[in-house]
Amino acid sequence: MEAVKSVGLVKVYHSKETVEALKGVSLSIRKGELFTLLGPNGAGKTTFLRIISTQLMPTKGDAIVLGYDVLTQPNEVRKHIAVVPQDVATYGNFTPWEYSYYFSLLRGMSKREAKEAAERSLRAVELWELRNRTCATLSGGEKRRAIIASALSSNADVLMLDEPTSGLDAVARRNVWAVLRGMVEQGKTILLTTHIMEEAEMVSDRLAIVNRGEVAAEGTLDDIKGLAREKFRVVVEGDLRDLGLSQNNNRVLKFGNKKIVYVKNEDEALELVGKALKNGLKAETAPITLEDVFVKLVGGEEN
Amino acid sequence: MNAKLIKDTLIIAALKSVPDFKRQPLMLMFLGLISAMPLYFILVFGGQISSGLVGAMVSTASLIGIMAAIQDITWDRYVKIREMIVAMPVHPASYAVGVALAPFWLSAPGLVFFLAISLWLGVLPLSSIGWIVVSLIVCWAALSSIGFVISTYLQKASVYTLNSISNILGIGLVFLPPVYYPEEQLGQFSWIALLFPTSNASSLIRAYSGLLQLSSEMIVARWLILLAVTGISILVVSLKAKWREA
Repeated sequence: MEAVKSVGLVKVYHSKETVEALKGVSLSIRKGELFTLLGPNGAGKTTFLRIISTQLMPTKGDAIVLGYDVLTQPNEVRKHIAVVPQDVATYGNFTPWEYSYYFSLLRGMSKREAKEAAERSLRAVELWELRNRTCATLSGGEKRRAIIASALSSNADVLMLDEPTSGLDAVARRNVWAVLRGMVEQGKTILLTTHIMEEAEMVSDRLAIVNRGEVAAEGTLDDIKGLAREKFRVVVEGDLRDLGLSQNNNRVLKFGNKKIVYVKNEDEALELVGKALKNGLKAETAPITLEDVFVKLVGGEEN
Repeated sequence: MNAKLIKDTLIIAALKSVPDFKRQPLMLMFLGLISAMPLYFILVFGGQISSGLVGAMVSTASLIGIMAAIQDITWDRYVKIREMIVAMPVHPASYAVGVALAPFWLSAPGLVFFLAISLWLGVLPLSSIGWIVVSLIVCWAALSSIGFVISTYLQKASVYTLNSISNILGIGLVFLPPVYYPEEQLGQFSWIALLFPTSNASSLIRAYSGLLQLSSEMIVARWLILLAVTGISILVVSLKAKWREA
């Protein structure tokens, strides 16, 4: 069953100039999966999430969360969701415990239930030992986990997190990923937005690439990678002229002396690596990454 | 009234005040000192200490009302706690009243202190305490609702701009009109007291305490002005403010 479904969502902002942030986005997110919206800055990810989470009205289109209409039944939707906004900050004199406890009370829990929920969520994000420290004394990653804990403590069925690991170091980011996957294993549905490719690859069950307000691709990681004609990449350091590459058949990205050559299959890749090594060049090959497909789909590559 | 509405209001007020109560006790002293400062000048340079004490009480309720309504809403937007609450099953009225109530709780020790001093000095009679408390609550409600109007209409202004506006308004509404001094001192311009919710509250308290002679018509007029300011501000906010952005 679908946890979230949008049909033709359009959002137009009218300020000094008219901006069409979403141009008819239709997506469906299944119950119990972690779905990632991947896109460059300004792609419309946050706008989509804010509409789905009842914070923003769409200009056109429909959206449903767990069977409730986002436009006409926002109060029902709000009972089942929890949101972590983009670039969320903390009040310095609040503690992680206060965030989780009071937010749980606002969900209608009794004091005892709120205490249990706060403890459970703070333990899940490994902040239990720091629960009574003020946020002013916590690191960036700990603050972010405090906010995520406040969302987790809600026990909401659908969690919506807008770039929750943005600005975190690698260790803190991996901690958050582990928490999110743990929530999915408990049957929660998670809608995550990110522009970090590794994050999308590591945590997503399915994902959609959004660009300029439109869905450029949707599916599992393999589905998305399958969209590319070339399945392998060869990184070569040095001059490519003697390697017999065809300008028509091979896509090449140049970064100074380093070049990434995209080829159709592993045989072609190994042949190219062999030629390069014979010519005294450094070369290595690997299957294409999500980033390779993403760059191709959203453009902006240096060719 | 819906029990959840009241419960959520109290939870938001607690969320916004308990951490400050616990960790910012100096802030409580600071809030009281701002309102107490004019008393020092009244004592040193002469003036009616009774009016000064009434002014200190009105000032405590008013400053916290207008400043907090603007600053709290603004900071809630800035740290995005508001976005999280919008996506919860919480009524916007619970949020607004909770946000306004929190600083009122924070100012309560100051109010009690000034009230106790006034009763102890015999400046205010014990029999008028009910009217004094009601006047202060309505004054706080009026100033808070003015604060909400400003934060609603200046949504795109920066946090720092809105903080400055709230400070200027707070000072302008509390220290300039006859709040700390009797309106009679303005002579033929004493009608100015009618223009500000703060000076109306101050005059009402003085009238109920026997410090100012006001006809019953004038008392009713002052109540009407206070309630009208509050009512109109709430109406404007409820028409203009959008819980879910358009």
